[in-house]
Amino acid sequence: MKLSGDLIEVSVIGGYLGAGKTTLVNHILREASERVAVMVNDFGEINIDESLIDSSDENTISLTNGCICCSLVDGFATALESVVSFRPRPTRLVIEASGVADPGTIAAHGHGPGFALDAVIVVADAVRLIEQIADPLVGQTVAGQIRAADVIVLNKIDLCDTLTSVNAELSELNPKALLIYTSEAKADLDLLFGREILRTVSSAGHVGTFESRTHESTQPILRENLEALIKNLPSDIQRVKGIIRLAEAPRIPMVFQLVGRSWDLRALADREKSPEGNRLVVIGPKGSIPIAWDNFLR
Amino acid sequence: MNPAVPVAQAIAVQGDRILGVGTVGDLAQWGDYELDEQFKDHILMPGFVEAHSHVMAGAVWEFPYVGFYDRPDPLGHTWLGCQTIAAVVDRLAECERELKDPDQTLVAWGLDPIFLEGERLVAKHLDQISVTRPIFVFHASGHLATVNSAMMRRSGIDRYTPTPGVAKDFDGEPNGELQEPAAMSLAQDGFSAIGVAMMSSNAKWNYAREARNCGVTTIADLGTTRLTMEGQLEAWREATDDANYPARVVVAVGHFDSNSIVSLAVRLRDEEETPKLRFGIVKLVLDGSIQGFTARISWPHYVNPPPGHPGNGLWLIPPEQLADIVSGYHEAGLTVHCHCNGDEATQVFIDAVELALQRHPRWDHRHTVQHSQMTTAAQYKKMAALGINANIFSNHIFHWGDQHAAVTIGEERAARMDACATAEREGVVFSVHSDAPITPMSQLHTAWSAVNRLTASGRVLGPEERISVAKALEACTLGAAHQLKLDHDIGSLEAGKLADFAVLEEDPFEVSPAELKNIAVWGTVVGGTPHVASSK
Repeated sequence: MKLSGDLIEVSVIGGYLGAGKTTLVNHILREASERVAVMVNDFGEINIDESLIDSSDENTISLTNGCICCSLVDGFATALESVVSFRPRPTRLVIEASGVADPGTIAAHGHGPGFALDAVIVVADAVRLIEQIADPLVGQTVAGQIRAADVIVLNKIDLCDTLTSVNAELSELNPKALLIYTSEAKADLDLLFGREILRTVSSAGHVGTFESRTHESTQPILRENLEALIKNLPSDIQRVKGIIRLAEAPRIPMVFQLVGRSWDLRALADREKSPEGNRLVVIGPKGSIPIAWDNFLR
Repeated sequence: MNPAVPVAQAIAVQGDRILGVGTVGDLAQWGDYELDEQFKDHILMPGFVEAHSHVMAGAVWEFPYVGFYDRPDPLGHTWLGCQTIAAVVDRLAECERELKDPDQTLVAWGLDPIFLEGERLVAKHLDQISVTRPIFVFHASGHLATVNSAMMRRSGIDRYTPTPGVAKDFDGEPNGELQEPAAMSLAQDGFSAIGVAMMSSNAKWNYAREARNCGVTTIADLGTTRLTMEGQLEAWREATDDANYPARVVVAVGHFDSNSIVSLAVRLRDEEETPKLRFGIVKLVLDGSIQGFTARISWPHYVNPPPGHPGNGLWLIPPEQLADIVSGYHEAGLTVHCHCNGDEATQVFIDAVELALQRHPRWDHRHTVQHSQMTTAAQYKKMAALGINANIFSNHIFHWGDQHAAVTIGEERAARMDACATAEREGVVFSVHSDAPITPMSQLHTAWSAVNRLTASGRVLGPEERISVAKALEACTLGAAHQLKLDHDIGSLEAGKLADFAVLEEDPFEVSPAELKNIAVWGTVVGGTPHVASSK
């Protein structure tokens, strides 16, 4: 459901060099369930499976899932005009800002004719963030980007052993942003694009009081382990969703949904599209998701 | 500007090149000649070389000018300054009557509200001109525009428009002022007009006419991504191939995605050059502007920034990425010209060039710090050691020097900004530039600014950084030619070089240094062909 009628919703992706913006863009292009147009600075970095590419030319790549990727070489205004003219029309525009850009300034373009700004998403490198913010050359740039975010994708948490201090830094710079923990920038697109928040979280408080983690594993899970886990779920966790495979029937991908204390598990209709292994997205108040959860699927 | 023959009676030209310089008697050894005495009462200088300007200087003249100061256009007509809101409205009303198509947007430029007394010009003033025709007026800063109600209606700008920068009055209605690109681009057909005009043939001609009118024979359009657009290379070729086109143009490719730009710039240099159209330069923009508080300045940063300023300026390229970007162009044999207004930006560029040289030693690259406004003595010394050139924005002293001393960087650093004397002392090959249309094109003015360092209020800012007339004129000719890698062909008057002259009414070495900018220009000679200035 779109709140903005026929307007194309705009997500701006900012974040400093190396944080994982392009990885996130590639992830979005692969997983999108709507027609997304992506504008990128560095066209050469777009890395999509050949099989997904429908056609491409110097300044655009069309994908078989309806997404399209175009270059910003001629500037925003020109790129925005061409996005409106794409047929079929995209429902969402994702603008990848350059590594030093203020994504807030770019977001101002998201109100142009035919567009509605959704959110500023800033990708941060969990390993290097503290060092970057202290850097005399780029510290102000990085901190400014974090401050401009509606959603912070804290990336590379699998490589970070100072998560507590990173969290403290983030909550000081921008306590209002929704925090999504990721590795390889695999953020849940429903969360990233605000739909999940609208559905489940907004009634419980401001989005900025929430965080999310995605847990992935490869081995099918025993049903009793899953049930034990739900039983021991920290009480303030409101929402868990994802696709898992049970040890009892490892070839059938199951959709898991938990809202409040009620949960549901059913076979996925379209098995072809399902990823291998398990992937669960957990959403809860900031600080409520124990890292121990990383082990729960094992 | 040939130190071996600084002054001569005559110059012999064959085809588009100089056969010799000397007395008529000396030159007679080359055989029969035809004596052309049309310039016997003029001074011939090497044609001035403006190594940092933009074709936009020609494009703006597609539209009426409503700035505060008088400004001559490329065709020689001087547009009187509009010194009141009423004068702006009258000028625009006159232009509006000349437009035939009632739907065509009236676009104007140069408005500078800080000079206009009384209330601020807003939509209601422009509505006096027309309530049906959209009107879009660019401000001189380039950061703002003011539009009328018809323009807002056509663009869907109303009290509900959420875009930041759409200025609103106390009742919440938009007042017609659009601040910064996101807001200005809502009025798309006005905002894009100058960019569209830049691609026209007429803009390219007016750019060269503007050069001719001030004695400039070679202009660098420093940094465009438009060469990737269909038909733009051909449009440049068509203009510059015309025998009447009165300038040589160096079109620098603007950095974007470096892999494709490297191959584009190399192809242009190797395959597309003609006598009047040259390539081989890539332009990078590393930081913002000092007067906009967006230049990257080393500690102690800005002295009196506006409230809410983050403390330092903006990077437009991640500093740690610069060495890789520079290396890519450097290894391809291209020359990198990097916009560095602040000294922190200069340092990052110097470090990037040093790293590129360690990776890939290469002599005589002539990479250039553009603007180089706050470059320090230590940085100039390092630049000399690495072979880096400078193109110094000397006109800033006149146009913004007072503000730099009072508001941006403070007295001490303002006194040593645009430090031509330091560059000379440390042995850096340098030029001076106008960045037209940011300041009006005129190498006599940029030289005057470097020689006198007078601000708009009339004070001498940093007397120690003044340079001699001879050095300033060398900077505007050979210095600029050197950083464009054209000094084998232009920049001085000597046998074998192209016959490119500035034709002046007075001798710059004879007038008082304070009068340098007032020397009248007859026009130019480009490749042996005279081009009279339009005011003549």
